[in-house]
Parts: sequence; C-alpha cells; structure tokens
Amino acid sequence: MTEPLKYKTEFAEEIYALENGPYIKKCMQCGMCDVSCATRNEMDFSPRELFMLLRTGKREDFFKANTMWMCSTCLMCKVRCPRGIPLVDVMHDLKSHAIRLGYTDPPQASFYQAFWQEILGRGRVFEGGLMARYYLKRGWSEIRKGFEMRDLGMKMVMHSRIPIKPPKAIRGLKGMRAIIERAQELTQKEGR
Amino acid sequence: MRYSFYPGCSMEGAAVPYLKSFEAVADVLYMGLEEIPDWNCCGATVASGVIGDYPAQVLAARNLALAEPKRFDIVVPCSSCYMNLALTNKKFQDDKHFRAMVKEALRAGGLKYRGTLKVRQIVEVLINDVGIDKIRAAVRKPLAGLRVAGYVGCQTPRVFPWQFDDPEQPVFMDRIIEALGATPVKFPMKARCCGSSHSLTKPEITTGSGYNIISCALEDGAQVIVTPCPMCQMNLDAYQGMIKQHHQLKTEMPVLFLTQLMAIAFDLPPAAWALKYNIVSPFEALAPYGVKP
Ligand code: SF4
Ligand code: SF4
Repeated sequence: MTEPLKYKTEFAEEIYALENGPYIKKCMQCGMCDVSCATRNEMDFSPRELFMLLRTGKREDFFKANTMWMCSTCLMCKVRCPRGIPLVDVMHDLKSHAIRLGYTDPPQASFYQAFWQEILGRGRVFEGGLMARYYLKRGWSEIRKGFEMRDLGMKMVMHSRIPIKPPKAIRGLKGMRAIIERAQELTQKEGR
Repeated sequence: MRYSFYPGCSMEGAAVPYLKSFEAVADVLYMGLEEIPDWNCCGATVASGVIGDYPAQVLAARNLALAEPKRFDIVVPCSSCYMNLALTNKKFQDDKHFRAMVKEALRAGGLKYRGTLKVRQIVEVLINDVGIDKIRAAVRKPLAGLRVAGYVGCQTPRVFPWQFDDPEQPVFMDRIIEALGATPVKFPMKARCCGSSHSLTKPEITTGSGYNIISCALEDGAQVIVTPCPMCQMNLDAYQGMIKQHHQLKTEMPVLFLTQLMAIAFDLPPAAWALKYNIVSPFEALAPYGVKP
C-alpha cells in the first residue's frame, strides 16, 4: 500500500502569501490545466501536480520543477480553470519568487533576467541587446547552440528584421526607474 | 476617428513590416494614429516573472499615464502589449487598492493616471470602429480564390474571454479576410500557442508548435497564413527553416501580418506591402494578384 498523502502547510503558506498565491487554495485537482496546457509535454510536473507538491510540502521538488519556466503565457488554463484560478499570474509569482531565492538554473531564468536588464537599461527592448545579455549569462554551451541558429540570424539580418543600431533610451528613463523602485518598495510594505 | 498608438518594441525591430503596413492601411481607413510620446516597454510576458505582477503593471501604466492627456482610445497591435496594457487598465478601473498603489508609484516619476482611457486590440478596432463595410469598400484588388489561414494567436482572444470573440476558436479576424475577397479556411489551431519566447531558450518548443500549426493550415488547404501578432509571425516565418530541418513539411507556408494582406488588397504601393521583410517568400502564392518582388 502506498503511504497516504500528508498535507504540510508551512511551505504552502509561504507561497499563498505571494500576490496571486491565495488563488492556489481553490485548486480542486481536476486536471483541466494539464490537458489544456500548450507546453505540458515539456514540463516535469503539470500545473496541477505542482500545486500538489506545494500542499505536501515538497519544497525542493517544487522549485526545481521547470513548470513555471515552461509556461508560455498562452492563457488557455486561465480561460478554462473551473475554479477561476489565474494560473498564468500564479506562474509569474512563482518565477519571480524562484529568482529571488536563487533558483536560476533554467535557461529561461537567464532569459527573463536579461530581458529585464534590457528594460531597465533603455526603457525598451532591443533584440540584439537581449541576445547579447542572454548568451553572456549562459556561457559557452549556450553560445554553441546559438551558432546552430546562425542561419536563422543571417536570414533575419538579410531581410532587415534586426536593426543594427539599438534604439535610443527613452527620455523619461530616470522617471521610469523611480516609478519601478517605488512600486517595489510598496510591494515590500505589503509583505509580498 | 483618432487613436493613441502604442507600437511596442517589436515594431522597432522584427515587426517592422507590421508597422509599415499598419500605418499605410490606417491612413486609407482614416484612423488617425498618434504615437504615445516616449512610451516604454510593456513588460512583455517577462517583467512580471522577474519583479512580480504589480510592479510590472505599474511599468505598463506609465504608458497609460502618458497617453491620457490626448483622451483617445489606445490601439495596440501586438498581442502581449495588448494583454499587459488592457489588463492593467481594467484592474486600475476595478480595484480600488490597486488603483491607489499604482497612483502612488507613478507619482514617484511625476506622472498621473486617472483611468479614463480604453485599451483596444487592433483587430477589434478594425471590426467595431472602422467596420467590415468600410474595409470592403477600400478593397481595389479583391483576393478572390486565395485561401487564407487566420492565425489569431493565443493571447488576443483570451485576455477578456468572450468580450469580442470565442477564446478558443475565434472567428472575428476571418470576417476581415472575407472582406478582402479571400477565403478563410477553418484552421482549428488558429488560437494555439506558437511557443512564444521559448524560441531562444528552447527552440524545440517553437519548432514543434510551428510544425503543428503550419501542418494544420496546410491540411485545410491554406496558401498563406496571416496573423496580427509579432511573436507568432516571427516564430512561424523566421523559424520555418528550422521547422523544416526537424519535421517533414510538405511545402513552404508564407506568413504575413494581417495588415500586409490588407495593403495588398487595397492596392497600395509595394512599400506598404513591406514584403521584402518576409523570410518565407510570399510571391508565388500572391502572383495571381499582381504581387511581384
Ligand atoms: S484547472 Fe484549476 S482547479 Fe483544475 S487542476 Fe488546474 S488549477 Fe486546479
Ligand atoms: S498559460 Fe502557461 S500554464 Fe497555462 S496553459 Fe498556457 S503554457 Fe500552460
């Protein structure tokens, strides 16, 4: 006989305290998100299974799962979940929480951080800059993979789809950063 | 009709043909576009995964604040930009606590938003404001006989399900394809995910999704795919070479922005078609309509 599942709430409480955390409590394990998900085949655990890891207190498995990083924000689960859980927003919280805690091994975590640096750097995202930042973070193995994609890059350049020069930073960059900083302070004040 | 226009980062890069064709088409349809001054990145599908939903939505709200003095609805072509701006705006209008928090953060940059604007998706504006009749009347070169798969993409119809269409099998864009004289094919994958930003981090996802989507369009006899989404266009067009390396595609499938097809049907000058940017050549499929390189 397999052991009965024991709920352990400590870890769950930590996640429920995130911005969209409380919604997770409503999950009834129906599996609709599993069958709807665009990238389910790539995930170690489906969204439903991930929520079960949470309830059973499997902290390490939870953060090492690639589930949140595989989410492509296609919104299908959000539209279909019978309990009205905005899963995709929950995934945002889990990604940012994972980054905060240093679980940044997946390439997507590097991509996300590179993208964010690009926004903070000029207020807009320049694809060339994004790729440079990403490959710099990932190192050699990823750069090699990048070479395999060079045909694609060449075609993009030949068809003038990648501008050579990055766009100028927005004029209000300082103000934009001040706004974000203030928002982050307010988030902390709310205890999230 | 006048609109505040939010182009988004992609229109400064990979989606240049979208910008060129949209501006030309908007001109013909008397949609006055005024670009939001000094707009910033909407955060895409990424910012919220780094700093959390609320700070990312404040970033999006900066654009709303910059647009508000003009008082026009904001028209947004990119699906992710639409998602971020529209959801932020709705939450701002519905949720008092969120509103107060956003206002306070914006104040740190000397900005103010009162929540008076509407954020509109480009296809929805074309249908509800411009109208199918006016689009039909602008057609100079009906695309009779052209079979088109309308790839709406994943986010556009699902940001507000049922508000303007079915979130899984949307048909609203097919009405525009019909107005151009072409025939929309059924194409049940029309709102499935293209793989999004996995194109850089895990291209197998993008090539796998792309293969399924293009195969579905081919099965239904489509000659071209059109889409209103920059990400979808890039993942199906630029990655098609890679898709072919990993999967058996029967034939190549040109992938155009919806507005490119409109510019062709309106018989605008070739600069407005902006086809030189397309990686999979559309010229064979479009030759019967006088489209040449
Ligand atoms: S669809 Fe909703 S309720 Fe069902 S398992 Fe997924 S998250 Fe839980
Ligand atoms: S939004 Fe993410 S988790 Fe939900 S169905 Fe799409 S890819 Fe899967």
